[in-house]
Amino acid sequence: MIGRFFRLAWRQMNVQLQIRIFNRDTLLLFFLQPLVFSAVGMILARAAGNQAPDLVYTVIGSGIMGMWSGLVFTSTYDIGRDRREGVLELIVGSPTPLARVEAIRTFTNVMAGLVSLAAAFLAAMLIFKYSLAGANLPGAFLSLLLILFGMWCIGLFLANFLVWSRLGSPLVDFLELPVAVLCGFMYPLRVLPDWMQAISTVLPIRWALQALDETLSGGRDPALLWMQWALAFGISLLFWGLSRWLDGKVHDRVRVTGELSSI
Amino acid sequence: MGFGFAVEARLLHKVFTTRSGFWRRKTKTTVAVEDITFRVNRGELFGLLGPNGAGKTTTVKMLSTLLLPSSGTISILGWDAVKQTQEVRKHIGFTFGGARGLYGRLSARDNLRYFAELYGLEPAVTQRRIPELLDLVGLLGRAEDRVETFSSGMQQRLHLARALLHDPDLIFLDEPTVGIDPVGARELRNTVKELIARGKTLLLTTHYMAEAEELCDRIAIVKQGRLVALDTPAALKRSISGDSLIDVQVKKESLPVLREHLARLDGRSSVQVQDTPPFKKISIRTPEPEAVMQLLAPFLNPEFILGLEVRNQTLEDVYVAIIQGEQA
Repeated sequence: MIGRFFRLAWRQMNVQLQIRIFNRDTLLLFFLQPLVFSAVGMILARAAGNQAPDLVYTVIGSGIMGMWSGLVFTSTYDIGRDRREGVLELIVGSPTPLARVEAIRTFTNVMAGLVSLAAAFLAAMLIFKYSLAGANLPGAFLSLLLILFGMWCIGLFLANFLVWSRLGSPLVDFLELPVAVLCGFMYPLRVLPDWMQAISTVLPIRWALQALDETLSGGRDPALLWMQWALAFGISLLFWGLSRWLDGKVHDRVRVTGELSSI
Repeated sequence: MGFGFAVEARLLHKVFTTRSGFWRRKTKTTVAVEDITFRVNRGELFGLLGPNGAGKTTTVKMLSTLLLPSSGTISILGWDAVKQTQEVRKHIGFTFGGARGLYGRLSARDNLRYFAELYGLEPAVTQRRIPELLDLVGLLGRAEDRVETFSSGMQQRLHLARALLHDPDLIFLDEPTVGIDPVGARELRNTVKELIARGKTLLLTTHYMAEAEELCDRIAIVKQGRLVALDTPAALKRSISGDSLIDVQVKKESLPVLREHLARLDGRSSVQVQDTPPFKKISIRTPEPEAVMQLLAPFLNPEFILGLEVRNQTLEDVYVAIIQGEQA
């Protein structure tokens, strides 16, 4: 059973990577976009008089922005492509639950997004001579894992939503920037108005990113960090639960409406 | 596998509801399949024929668990297709006509590998089955080529290989030869025959009557979502009539004379005239072809008759008669 799952995961990732390698849009999305965000952030920070731009909100933020954009667009693209090419119907008609395929696919997309982060980080190290001296590295690593987990859970929810509704695609595209703004990818959340900060509390990435900021700035306040990690993890689980609930609805609905192969 | 039928559909009904309009939402319902009942025996090749939009694909999709029926019951190899979906999916294979349903950027082998994982095949089985099936559908030499470089016929054949990966007991083939050249279509028909020889059950939909006549043990004809005929090809042909068909190609100018002459035929024969520029075609359906030939004998010269063919009714004649509602 476990062996079968890993074989499927490996094959699914293989399929996605092979499709992506030949797709210029994906390369732009994962490499160029975070580099542009990163460069703009650093130039703005320098223009504002900071010789060493903020590590989290300029470097990590641009990388995570790239990850998020990649996740949103690949979720939209994968489902749209499979529906358009008639593969979605064949996947649903197989004994493997669509939820499992979506889980692996979203995981691959999130992991592929790490390339963005690495690209942005590399640019910062080489161009701006960043160093991680003084950072709480284990805490930063855990925060990064929680960012990935949060993105995976949201990605799963989006993927199910897109199978469920053909109207989903423009809505999901529309989510890209608002979520980035609300999570404070490229600036501290405290600069946002109170009402926007209140809305952002339902996004797990926001908490994990705050924890990442704390840990990379050398923050070691356990109470604060544990609260942020717990919120990031708990809200991610809520998104995961929501996507599981939606999955059951999706399976029944697409079989009633016959929208699996509709273009 | 247990006993019983491979497919048992009872009073199958499917209604699609579509909504349109932004402010004032309008709901439109379309009955795609209306109370269809039929059974397919194990090891049988069953054909489902009908014009476009008759409900063939909707029926196949309900049988293959991709659509839920609005009402009615479906038993597939003894399992309930609505409630025991996963069991049914493990034991059926299906292809839908056209080139969609494969990853164009992947090779034929990688496409099959992916679907092998979706069907939970053990690595050793996958390794054995893929070359075996690629060989069966004549694509072994193109295994490493990207599918987007394949012709539609090759993609259709690869679809068949995909549908057979997990060695299913029951296979649904929805218009498998659509868009395939005659040689490719013949090869595919041979593959279908081979599958039947191996004891598989097949349900086939097609628009090609000769194909259905050649392959199918029994045929169901659907029209506007309803089952209008179900029998063996021979019995279907007999059910319309045992008449012969005489097609006569005539000059336009000689048509009135011949029509007047053919009016002497008794009520058991029927005459239809078709415009086939620059000539006219008279089709005579008759139980007594000899009598008609005697009647036409004086006109058998190029001034009147340019061509003449006497033939028995084909499945296509039966199909057209049923679909046009002119059952004799």
